[in-house]
Amino acid sequence: MGDIDAMYEIPRTAEFLRSRVYTRVALQFPDEMLKDAAAVARALRRELAGGGVKLFVMADTAYNSCCVDEVGASHIDAQCVVHYGHACMSPTSNLPAFFVFGKTPLDANACGRSLLQCTRESGKRILVLYGLEYAHALDDIKAVMAELHKSHSCTVEIQYADVLCSVMSPSSVAEKEHTQSNGTTPNDDLSVPIDGVATFVNNCCNVEGSTRKYSLGGLMWATSIDDNMEDYLLYWIGQDNSAFANVVLTFNKCEIVRYDTVANQPSRDVSHLMKILRRRYYLVEKAKDSNIIGILVGTLGVAGYLHIIEQMKDLIKAAGKKSYTLVMGRPNSAKLANFPECEVFVYVSCAQTALLDSKDFLAPVITPFEAVLSFSRGREWTGEYLLDFKDLIATDRPEVASKTDEARFSFIKGCYVEDNRLEGIAPALGFWNCLQQQ
Amino acid sequence: MVKFTVEELRRIMDKKNNIRNMSVIAHVDHGKSTLTDSLVAAAGIIAQEVAGDVRMTDTRADEAERGITIKSTGISLFYEMTDESLKLYKGERDGNEYLINLIDSPGHVDFSSEVTAALRITDGALVVVDCIEGVCVQTETVLRQALGERIRPVLTVNKMDRCFLELQVEGEEAYQTFSRVIENANVIMATYEDTLLGDVQVYPEKGTVAFSAGLHGWAFTLSSFAKMYASKFGVDESKMMERLWGENFFDPATKKWTSKNTGSATCKRGFVQFCYEPIKQIIKTCMNDQKDKLWPMLQKLGVVMKADEKELMGKALMKRVMQTWLPASSALLEMMIFHLPSPSKAQRYRVENLYEGPLDDVYATAIRNCDPEGPLMLYVSKMIPASDKGRFFAFGRVFSGRVATGMKVRIMGPNYVPGQKKDLYVKSVQRTVIWMGKKQESVEDVPCGNTVAMVGLDQFITKNATLTNEKESDACPIRAMKFSVSPVVRVAVQCKVASDLPKLVEGLKRLAKSDPMVLCTMEESGEHIIAGAGELHLEICLKDLQEDFMGGAEIIVSPPVVSFRETVLEKSCRTVMSKSPNKHNRLYMEARPMEEGLAEAIDDGRIGPRDDPKVRSKILSEEFGWDKDLAKKIWCFGPETTGPNMVVDMCKGVQYLNEIKDSVVAGFQWASKEGALAEENMRGICFEVCDVVLHADAIHRGGGQVIPTARRVIYASQLTAKPRLLEPVYLVEIQAPENALGGIYGVLNQKRGHVFEEMQRPGTPLYNIKAYLPVIESFGFSSQLRAATSGQAFPQCVFDHWDMMGSDPLEAGSQASTLVQDIRKRKGLKEQMTPLSEFEDKL
Repeated sequence: MGDIDAMYEIPRTAEFLRSRVYTRVALQFPDEMLKDAAAVARALRRELAGGGVKLFVMADTAYNSCCVDEVGASHIDAQCVVHYGHACMSPTSNLPAFFVFGKTPLDANACGRSLLQCTRESGKRILVLYGLEYAHALDDIKAVMAELHKSHSCTVEIQYADVLCSVMSPSSVAEKEHTQSNGTTPNDDLSVPIDGVATFVNNCCNVEGSTRKYSLGGLMWATSIDDNMEDYLLYWIGQDNSAFANVVLTFNKCEIVRYDTVANQPSRDVSHLMKILRRRYYLVEKAKDSNIIGILVGTLGVAGYLHIIEQMKDLIKAAGKKSYTLVMGRPNSAKLANFPECEVFVYVSCAQTALLDSKDFLAPVITPFEAVLSFSRGREWTGEYLLDFKDLIATDRPEVASKTDEARFSFIKGCYVEDNRLEGIAPALGFWNCLQQQ
Repeated sequence: MVKFTVEELRRIMDKKNNIRNMSVIAHVDHGKSTLTDSLVAAAGIIAQEVAGDVRMTDTRADEAERGITIKSTGISLFYEMTDESLKLYKGERDGNEYLINLIDSPGHVDFSSEVTAALRITDGALVVVDCIEGVCVQTETVLRQALGERIRPVLTVNKMDRCFLELQVEGEEAYQTFSRVIENANVIMATYEDTLLGDVQVYPEKGTVAFSAGLHGWAFTLSSFAKMYASKFGVDESKMMERLWGENFFDPATKKWTSKNTGSATCKRGFVQFCYEPIKQIIKTCMNDQKDKLWPMLQKLGVVMKADEKELMGKALMKRVMQTWLPASSALLEMMIFHLPSPSKAQRYRVENLYEGPLDDVYATAIRNCDPEGPLMLYVSKMIPASDKGRFFAFGRVFSGRVATGMKVRIMGPNYVPGQKKDLYVKSVQRTVIWMGKKQESVEDVPCGNTVAMVGLDQFITKNATLTNEKESDACPIRAMKFSVSPVVRVAVQCKVASDLPKLVEGLKRLAKSDPMVLCTMEESGEHIIAGAGELHLEICLKDLQEDFMGGAEIIVSPPVVSFRETVLEKSCRTVMSKSPNKHNRLYMEARPMEEGLAEAIDDGRIGPRDDPKVRSKILSEEFGWDKDLAKKIWCFGPETTGPNMVVDMCKGVQYLNEIKDSVVAGFQWASKEGALAEENMRGICFEVCDVVLHADAIHRGGGQVIPTARRVIYASQLTAKPRLLEPVYLVEIQAPENALGGIYGVLNQKRGHVFEEMQRPGTPLYNIKAYLPVIESFGFSSQLRAATSGQAFPQCVFDHWDMMGSDPLEAGSQASTLVQDIRKRKGLKEQMTPLSEFEDKL
C-alpha cells in the first residue's frame, strides 16, 4: 500500500483535489499502469476519506495515452482529469488536469559521475533535460553534482530544466498562448533572426526581458538572450522514447548526450533520429507533389487543435489543392487505404505522437509543420524542425502564396512539375465514408 | 576579325535552302573538336595560325584540361562561296552565301546523350574517323543514332598527318587502310538503311568522303584534286574523280589509265599517283626546309604565300603551306553544302520521325514544308548554362514558323498529353539569341530551319520541350528523344555543412537542367541522388554541381550505388492466400516469370497499357505463346503503370471482382515498386489472380481492406516463386593491341566480366573485345584496365541488360542474401527480410 502511495503520489493528488473541491474526477491510466488502477483508486478514495468525490478510471484512450483524454472525461462529466504516467504535457482545451508522472528509480550517483565526465569532455555549457518520470530524482542529482563539484574543480556551468507544472488548467493555457503570440514577432523571413528575436523554429521559446524561456514537453528552462541553443550541450536523462525524439528533432543542431537509465551509461548515438529527420525531409518533398490531402484529426483534446485544422485547410486551399478532414481514431494502414484518393495525410496530434511513419501506409503521413513547408511556395527545408503544432499557430497565417514565376522542381520525379492542377479529381468522399471505421 | 556580322547571319536565316544544320560526331579522340576549329577559323572567328590548337568548341576549363569534349557546343557560321565552287551544285540555292549551324559533340560514351540532343536539331552529320584506328565502338553507336534520327552522314578520314609524319606509310598501303575504314563505315550504314533517306553510304568518288588533318588544318575531297587535273587531262571533273579512287591505275610512262596494275614500276593507283604522293612530297620538302625546291612546286600548284609566311620553318611552314593549298574549310564546306541536306529538304522526310500527332495536320505540314509562315514548332533539345549564374538558355531548333523576342509561346513538357493541361505553360520568350563563336548575339526573330537559344524559359523546362504559338492548342508535341544510354550509376550527395542544404537543392535543380541525361531525385530515406550513365559522367556532374551550381560549397558523396531488380525463377510452388485485415476477404495469387523477351518488349513500349487490346493479344500469342483470351485479361502493368510486371486475371465466375480491381491494381503498383526482398523494383514477374473470396457487403471490401491485402499476397507469391535478384550489366568494348590482351582478360576475370567476342581489326594489330561486365564491378574498371595494360586499353561501357544472379537470396549466407542485407541496411530497413508467414495467411 505504501508503495502505491509513494509511487502514485496519492497524498499530493488528494490535496490537490481537496483544494479545488472537485467532486467528479477521472483517473486516466496508460495501458502499462492499468493493473494498478483499482489499487490507486482505492488509495485515493481512502485518502480523500469520502468527501463525496466520485472517481472514475479511464483507460484505452482513443488517441494516445500521453494526452489528456478530455472527450472520455466529458462522458462522465468529470471536472478534472488526473493523468498518470508518461505525458506529453500538451495544453488541454477544456478540462484542468493534474499530472502524476510516476517515479522511475534512478542511480543518481552513477548519473552524476557521467554528467561530470561530460562536463570535462565538452567545453560547452550543459543543459540537463530529463524524462518526466525522472523528475523526482532531480534534487538528488543536483546534490550529487554539488558534491562532485567540490571535490573536482570544474568550471563548466550546468543548467537544469524545471518541470513546467503538474497542474494544468485550460484558462492559464489560453493566457499563456496569448502572451506568447505577443512575445514572438511573426517572422516570415526564416533564416535571419531579426533583432535577436526567436527564429521560426524557436517558437517553443519566448522572450521575456533579457532571457529566452523555452518550454518543451513539460520541461522549461531559460537562457540569456545572447545565447543560442547550439551553444549548449544537451544532456538527456531517460529512455529513448518519443519525448527524447521531440528534443532531438527540435534541437537537431545541438550536441546531445543521452544518459541511458537502464544501462547506466551515456550514449551519443542519435543517428536513428537523424535518419528519421532525413526521412521527414523526403516526405515533405513527396507531399509537394500531391493534390488531394487528408487532414487526420489525431486529437480531440490538445488546445488549439480546431484552430490548426482550420489553418491547415486554409493553407491547402491557398496552395490550390483539395483537402478532406477525416476522423478515424488512431490511423492504421487499413483505415488510411480507405481513402486511396488522398495522396498525403496531415496528422494533427500532440507533439509526441506526431511522427507517424510506416512502410504499410499507402500515402505518407506528415505533421502540420511539414505541411506548412510543403504547401507554401518559397518555404524551404532548412533543417529547422518543429513538432508541436501550437508553435505554428499565430506565426503562420497562411500568407497569400507568393507568386513566384518558376515552375516547381520535384525531387521525387526529377523534373519540373506543375502545381495547382485539380483535374480529374476523384468524386467527393461520401459522408459515411468519413465515419470512423474499424 | 570576324568576317561576318549578325545582320548578314540573320539575313541568310531566311534562305532555307542555304542553311546546313550539322553535327560533328565520332569516337572519342578522333579529332572532332580539332577539325571543327578549321571551320571556325575559316569564318574568321579564330586565327588560321592557331586553328587546331584552340579547340574553340571546348569552352569549359575541364574540357581543355582533359582534352575531351563534354558538352556539345553549337556555333553558327557564315560563308560566302564562289560561283566557281558552286558551279556543279545541282540543288536549289539562293545566292552564294551559306549559313552553317554546326554542333560539336562529345565522343565518350558517357556523354552520348549530348550527341542525341545534337542530332535531333541537325539534318546532317560529319562523321570523323581516325584513319589509323578506323571505325570504333562509338563511331558505330553515333552512326546508328544518326540514322535512326534520319540524319544524313558524310565521312571524313581524319588525322592524315599521322600517315605522313608519324607512320610514314607508303601510298598503296595508305589507300588500303583508307578504303577499309570507309568500307567499315558503309557496312554499318547499310545495316540501318532507310528507304526515305535513300542510299546513305559514302563514296570518295562521289565526294561524300573527305580526307583531313584537323591538327594542321588541311583537308581535301577527291573533287579538290579532280578540279586540278581535269583540265590537264582534258576530261570533266566527275570523270576525273572516279579515276582518283578504286581500281584505276595510271602509268606516267605510257600516259595510260588501266583498271589493273600493269606491274610496271611507274604504274600506280590514281589516288596514290595524284593525291597521296604530291601531298607527301610537299610535306617532306617543307619538313626538310628545302625552300628552294618548295617555291617552284607551290607556284605550279598556284599557291601563293605571304612574305612573312615564307620565313617559317619546319612544321609551322608545313602547316601554313598545307592550309593555303588545301584549306580544310573549303573541302569540308563544299562537302557539306553539296551533300548534306538543307532544312527544307531534310524536314520533308524527317517529319515522320519528329511529329507525334497526325501527319496530315497543319503542324506536320508546316514542318514538312519548313514553312516560315506556318505555326511555330520548335524543339528544345538542351539547356545551356548562361554566364549569369543560375540561368539557362533553352537551345533548340525551329522546325516551322518563327520564334521572336517577346513572343508568347506554349511550352509542352515531356509529360504533356494533348488535350490536357498537364506539363503545359504559356510564357513569353524574353530574348532570342544566336551563337557566334564564344559570344551570343541577340536577334529579333529566328525563322524555321535554324538553331536558336532562348532566354526566359528556363524556369519551366527541365531538359526538353516543344514550343508552339500561344493559341495552337491542338498541336501535338515533337517526339521525345531516345537515348542510347541510361542512368544506371547512382550516388547519394549531402552537404558537409547542414545549412548548405538550400544551396544543394538549388544546385541539383540546375544540374538536372544542364545535362540531358542526369537524373536528380530523392531516395525514400531522404538522400539526394544523382544518377548518370557512367563513372566519368557522374564525376563531371559532381564537379559541375559543386563548383558551378553550388558556389563551391562542400559536398559529401557516397560510394556509387547500383540499383537491382527483383524477379522470380519459377512459378509459385503453391497458390498463396492472404486475408484482409477484417478477415472477410481472401485473395489467392501465384507469381510466375514472364516469357523471355517480354520484359524487354514492355521496356521498349512494344507492349504497354495503352495498346490496342487486339494488337497486344496478337503479339502476346504469336511471339510469346500466350493464350489469346488470357492476353485480354491483363489488368495492369507496373510499377508506374508501365513497368515490366503485370497482373493477369485467371479467376472464373467471381462476384464483385471488378469492384476490387482498382484496389488490387493500387496494391500491385505499390508492391512492384518495392519488392519483398530489398524493396527494389520488380521486373519480369507476372502475377496471376487465381481466386478471390469477398464479403457480400461493399463497405467491408473497400480499398482499405483490399489494397494492403493485395500487396501482401503479391509479396507472398513472389517469395514462393524462387525470388532472384537481377543486376545491371554493361556491354564493354575495348580496343587494344595484342600484347595488352592478357592484362584485359586478367582485369575482366577479376571483375566477374566475361569476354564473348574477340576480333582482330583487319589490317591492324588491334583487337576488338566485347565483354559483359556487371555494373557494380565497373567502378574503377577503367583505371585498373589502364594500369594493367600500361594505358593501351580504353573501355567504353554501355548498359546492356539485366542479368539474373544465380544464388538464392532466401538462403542464408549466399551472395544474393548478403547483397539483399546490404541494400536493406543502406535503405535503413530491417536487415532481415520479412518472412513469408507475415504475408501469407492460413485458411
